[in-house]
Amino acid sequence: MRRSTAAAVGTLTGAALIIGVRLSVTPPEAPAVAAPVADLADSTPAPKPSSKKPVAGSKEKPAEKPAEKPKSGLKDGVFKGDAAANPYGRIQVSIKIEGGEIIDAAATYPTANDSATINPPAIATLKQSTLKAQNADVAAVSGATYTSESYVKSLQAALDAAKA
Amino acid sequence: MGTTVSIELGDDRPEAELRGLIAGVCDWLHEVDARFSTYKADSEVSRFGRRELRLEDASADLRHVLEACADLWRDTDGYFDAYASGALDPSGYVKGWSVEVAAARLLAAGSHDHYINAGGDIRMRGNHPDGGPWRVGIRHPWEADKVSWVLALHDGAVATSGTYERGDHIVNPRTGRPAEGLRSVTVVGPDLSVADAYATAALAMGEAGIAWLAKRSADGYGSAVVTDDGRAFSSANLPAAV
Repeated sequence: MRRSTAAAVGTLTGAALIIGVRLSVTPPEAPAVAAPVADLADSTPAPKPSSKKPVAGSKEKPAEKPAEKPKSGLKDGVFKGDAAANPYGRIQVSIKIEGGEIIDAAATYPTANDSATINPPAIATLKQSTLKAQNADVAAVSGATYTSESYVKSLQAALDAAKA
Repeated sequence: MGTTVSIELGDDRPEAELRGLIAGVCDWLHEVDARFSTYKADSEVSRFGRRELRLEDASADLRHVLEACADLWRDTDGYFDAYASGALDPSGYVKGWSVEVAAARLLAAGSHDHYINAGGDIRMRGNHPDGGPWRVGIRHPWEADKVSWVLALHDGAVATSGTYERGDHIVNPRTGRPAEGLRSVTVVGPDLSVADAYATAALAMGEAGIAWLAKRSADGYGSAVVTDDGRAFSSANLPAAV
């Protein structure tokens, strides 16, 4: 039994132009997604998630996500970063390491004055974590891609091209 | 100004049928563009904005859009505002809504496995052609070729708003000034138009949007946020891939 897949890319510009329509029929065994990964980035899984932080004054320890390397060189224990100032006060992040892996991350927030109205729910439901930068095997990408020009440069465009 | 739409159908059906389904989606999205674009002087929205079209003469679709924008304005404490720039611009709702409608039509036409990605806002159903859920990456806000989260969904919507693409495009409607504090906001939930509006509203709120999003979690809308200084936050109900 074969599986048909179809995909198309259209652009809703003034000219209402369809820039590509394609169909492919592949046997289900074909690992259709292998190709995109290979050429989206130099296939090596990033040895370290190089989380780019544009602002220096914040918290993290050199907190590599340990998934790739079992031996991360991280010592077990709880580590606190430097407190960082933001419009609501000072925030300090701590991470808990067990077996060389980050098993928890939390932030302490100021409790004085107006900040109290902002922080408790955030701590309750939105958990802070280390920002990852990974090359992942995905079918689609969600991002702020507002224009055709930015689409052309997007990861989604590369995925579409790889499937064509 | 244009939005690019990617469509993938994973249904085991003859090519001609799949091609026909895709054509139907494209036709609908072009129709929406013609009727709701604020860049087209003769669109229904433009005519309504210039008061050449009375509300009672507007199409059912336009009245729905206006009502939904009013509801979302209330639900977001005014941070989702179709009049943020002064003139009527319901694009922030129309995009998600039109994709919701397109996906519902695909389902009605018998497509159970599909996704539609309109400018980074995605509605999906069913399974990936290889089986299992659709895996959706959330673009890293500084590295365009990387993702910062991977989600796995069978049925749902993922919308991302960010300041990294058009600079300070998102305006805080309360101050009239560009939103700042958050770099990227992703909302995941059952309806793309709501998810998109929530993401836009939270981005406009700035850092206070993190707490606001936390409250939306109880309504079935999960979220993932990156601040301007690179801190990452996510809700417990974010459907992260394992």
